[in-house]
Parts: sequence; structure tokens; C-alpha cells
Amino acid sequence: MSTATAPVGIAGLGLWLPGYPSLAAWMTGRPDEQARVPGGRSLDRINRRRASLLGRAVADACAEALADAQVDPATVQTVIGSAIAESSTLLTLLEQMWRTKAPVSPAAFAMSVHNAASGLISISFGNRAFTTSLAADANTPAVALLEGIGVVLASGQPVVVACGDEAAPDGLIADEHCWGPLAAAVVLTPLEHERAGRARLRVRRPGRATLPNAAVDARAGRNPQIGLLDLVDAVARGAPGCVRLDRGDGLGWGADLEPVAGR
Amino acid sequence: MVARRLPPLRVTGYSNLNALGATRGEILSALEAGRSGLAPPAEDLGFETAVGAVRAELPELPVELDPWSTRLARMLARLLLDLDEPLRRARARWQPERIGVILGTSTAGVNATELAYQAYVANGALPRTYDFRRQHTFGALLHVVSELSGAQGPMWMTSTACTSSAKPLASAQRLIAADILDAAIVGGLDTLCSLTLLGFQSLQLLSRQPCRPFSARRSGISLGEGGCLALVEREGEARVLVESVGETSDAYHISAPHPEGRGARDAMASALAQAGCRPDEVDHINAHGTGTPLNDSAEAKAIAGLFGDQVPVVSTKGYTGHTLGAAGAIEFAFAAYALEEGWIPPSLHVDPLDPELALNVPRTLTRGPFRRVLSNAFAFGGSNVSVLVRSA
Repeated sequence: MSTATAPVGIAGLGLWLPGYPSLAAWMTGRPDEQARVPGGRSLDRINRRRASLLGRAVADACAEALADAQVDPATVQTVIGSAIAESSTLLTLLEQMWRTKAPVSPAAFAMSVHNAASGLISISFGNRAFTTSLAADANTPAVALLEGIGVVLASGQPVVVACGDEAAPDGLIADEHCWGPLAAAVVLTPLEHERAGRARLRVRRPGRATLPNAAVDARAGRNPQIGLLDLVDAVARGAPGCVRLDRGDGLGWGADLEPVAGR
Repeated sequence: MVARRLPPLRVTGYSNLNALGATRGEILSALEAGRSGLAPPAEDLGFETAVGAVRAELPELPVELDPWSTRLARMLARLLLDLDEPLRRARARWQPERIGVILGTSTAGVNATELAYQAYVANGALPRTYDFRRQHTFGALLHVVSELSGAQGPMWMTSTACTSSAKPLASAQRLIAADILDAAIVGGLDTLCSLTLLGFQSLQLLSRQPCRPFSARRSGISLGEGGCLALVEREGEARVLVESVGETSDAYHISAPHPEGRGARDAMASALAQAGCRPDEVDHINAHGTGTPLNDSAEAKAIAGLFGDQVPVVSTKGYTGHTLGAAGAIEFAFAAYALEEGWIPPSLHVDPLDPELALNVPRTLTRGPFRRVLSNAFAFGGSNVSVLVRSA
């Protein structure tokens, strides 16, 4: 049986991965070797200092997508997907608990929750609207889009969907499965929304890919969130077709894209 | 969210597991008697506190799921046992691809990882049986629930700290309204673990004694563990309906509530607005009521500002402890009990009630009828959820 959602609009795009601090940088195809870590420039100073690499990358990808869509960061609804989220903070805490026997850092503990990024984004953007954080391993991009589409259809208002994961934690995952960091974001809108500008999107399963994956190295390609980067890349290039939302290790959800003329 | 009115979710079955027991009868019996499940922890933590540990025997997973076997996964298997009959009916009614799984957890497999990491520090190697991808990640639990339930629709874990298991009710309502799903297993679960106990202690939020929500002498939270699963469907025989779910953010602080309960009030108001319901049509509120001075004060202001001081407000944290990511779902079940049984339990250890809180907090069992109940869950990150349920 095939499952497909109703169509929604894609109004804005954003991304971060090492060497490519923005979609514009990505589209040049030339990495900036100075841009190896996300700046977190969209977060306020206090929260930038608190944020992990993931929090900064996701916040910057969201901010770029919202600027592209001309949607207000203070009112937009937010869906954040991540497979392992703040695992690097968790490992720091486990080191404190078991190796150094130091008291657990209250600041690190508060930032170890899976929704730390969405909390920091909400605070920095002054946004009191709906936000959520979710996880489903390699299916995270697909289900984050499904959650986002559900919110768009129920509310009639835009949603920014962002997915990201830091590098896999050393020692806990076998080398051949390890991945590099990345984050990507799309702004979804109702079709009739004034900003529904870049493409029309339907999420379906099974999704039979007709569009190529984004050209990334093998480590980035193993990141559980690569499917959203593939989607951002395909929308930015403007071709119609279907992008698979995982690279073979998920349930086979796909994104049907129909570019909107004139953008 | 400026939301359209969505069709209510029909709750065709639910199961609950916490420090009070593993069956509806055990849990209702403890609530009716005003008997707490809180006790000192089994291990010496180096400080005094009380916890709500699950004492029920947990089933082993089928042998093919051995690599996924953790305490969390076995709690999930226990909860699914009580959903067996409604799940059987749902599988006959709907395609497996149209039955989703949307659960919440705060800790996921942290319990398994902290034990493995302890061994790693001691011996220089992770235990042979430990597998990060099958025991730690959120997807691991989804694999187990899919295998045990037969559900094959969209599945994810929501993880928004202490609102994690309330949010799936909203997600399922939206996806069923959008014709992406016909049914979903929703709810969530969490286990006690050293990290959360030490973490909350580091934040100076743990009570040394069993927690006392809304009391003038409250001094913090008691942690607990457990879970609740509910089967919600587009159609089907149900005694309880989920009318609406309000979801907002504080945009204030990562680990402290807005002092006036601004986001909490917005979440409750949103739930009412979505259902087209007036505040005086809510008969009872199951409060988040953690027992910290700040949390209870903020929530009380939010409730009093919206509902006044007459609606009975109970925190059930004194029975189960704060079950973190599981709290929203477990307390959804307590709200459903109120509708179905026609009584609400006393809030424990309240006296003396904090005179600064303009709330009606029952200290004895209170009989209804209760037709509409609101259940609150608030979390780190400034996440607020309010679930409105009513009798079918």
C-alpha cells in the first residue's frame, strides 16, 4: 500500500555542513576551509555560548531558511529532528560520573535534553509558538517532514523543519558506521500561503528516487539526517522528481517535488 | 498555533505502568487509598531522596529481539501486553501501514549506556552485549514496538523532556485529520537512571522526602519511572476522547519556567480554544505539579488566571514521582480514570497548602461527575503541553 500526504509549499531552504556555512556557499561547490564549525550567529550571545555544535548548526540552518522564505522567526512553528541530538554532552556527563567522579555539571545536564536546540532557538528568536523535537534514526527527515506537514495542515501557518546530527560519538559506534556532522532546514507553508514559493512537496512511501543525491563525502552521507540535505539540494537545483529521504537504511520514504515557476 | 478544530481522537485502549503498579486495578486501588509509591532508592546515591520505581516484573523480549533488550524495552513490552485486544481489533480494521507509532521519552536508552560506560571506564571495553544503535537510540525502541505490535505506519519518538509523551497525542490527532494515519499507538515511557538523579540533584531540584506539590513546605521533586501507551483511532468504541492539545513555548529559560506561567497559560488556553470549550466547562485539572517552589508557583498563577480558584487541581506526582518523559502520558491516563471512574484522588502531602497559591487542591478523594479534564505537562526548553480529554 502506498501512503502519500497532501501537498504543501516549500518556501525557504537552509543548511550547514563543514566547509559550507550556508546554502549559497553550498551552491558554489567550493568549500570554505575556514568554516569548519557553525558560528551560531542566529543565537543570542548567552545561548550561543551554551549551545552545542548541533544547536548552533540547526539554529543557523533555520535562520537561513526563514530569511529565504521571509517568514518571521518570532512566530514560526518549529520541528527539530535529530537521531542522537546532544549525545556529546551526555558523554561529557558520563565521564564526570564514572571517570573523574566530579559532580555532574548542572549547566551541562540542563543542556543534555534532546530538545535543547529547540529551546535555545525559541529563546533566542523570542518565539512562544509550537515547537517539538523528534527522532527516528535514518527515518528522522521523513517523519520530521510528516510532523511538519501535519502542523501546516492543522494550523494553516508556516513551519520550519530542521534536521541535524553531530558526528557519531567515538567509541560507541563502529568506525564503518560513523558519520560527520550536518544540518539542513526547510520552511513549509500551506499551498495558498503568500510565501509558498520554491516548490510543492508531497511525502510518500515508498518513494522511488528519480533525482540524484547531494554530492557529499561518505562520512556526511552516513549522517542520519542526510535525507533532508538531499531534499534541500534538489529543491535548490529546481528539478522536478522524487528525492529519497534516507540513503537505504530507512523505511524508504520519498519526497515528490514540483518546482514552482518564477523563483 | 492558530488551529482548526480537529476531530477528537477516540481512545480505544490504554495501559499504564508506574510505581503504583502495572495493572489498572493496582493503580486505581493505590490512588483510591491515597497510597504513595515513593520510597528511598535501592542504591546509595550519596544523598537522601525518594523515588517512584517500577516494581512489577517485566517480560523478557522474544529471543529475536534480544539485542534490543533493555529495561526500557521490557517496560514497553509490558505496556503492550495490556493493549493486545484493542490492537488486534485495530489490525483487523486498518492497514498496518496506516497504524502509526508516536511515542515520547526523555532518556531513551541512557540507562543502558550509563551502565555500559561504567563498565568501559572500569575495564577499558564496552560490554559485549552493548550496542549503541540497538539499545541507546530512539529508533531502537521504535523497532521493538513495531515488531511487537505489527504497526508499520510512520513512527517516531518525540523527545521534549517532560512533555515528551503528551505531544504524541497532538501529533496523532493531526496525522489522522490529515488522512496520513487511521490509528496510532501513542504515549511514552522513561526509566530511572543515575544520570537524571545526579543531574536533578546538581540543579538542587530534588526533594529529600517524598515530594509535596502545592504545599507551603514543598522542597523539590521526587523522580519516578514508568509509562503509558494509548491506542487512538479515527473510529472505534471508546469511553474517552482526546478533544484537543495545546502546545506552546515559554521563550524564557532553558531549565526554569516563566515565573508568571505565561507559556503554561497559553497552552491551556490553546487547548480550550481548539475544542471551543469555556474554562468553566473543565471539571478537573491534573496539574504538572512537580513540587518545586518555582514550578508550582508558575503553574498555579497560570491556572488561577484562566480558571479561577474553584476547579479541583490535583498533582499525582506524590504517588508516582515525576516520571519525566513519561509524565504526560501517565497523567493522561489519570485524567481518563477520572472520567471513567467518577472520582479523583487526593493530592498527597499538601498540608499546609501554600497560601500564596490561589488553587482548590483536594486533600481527600473527590467524587464527580467529571466530564472534561485537562492534563498539564511542562518541560525544560520551555515546552508546555495541555491535553483536554472528555467522556465519549
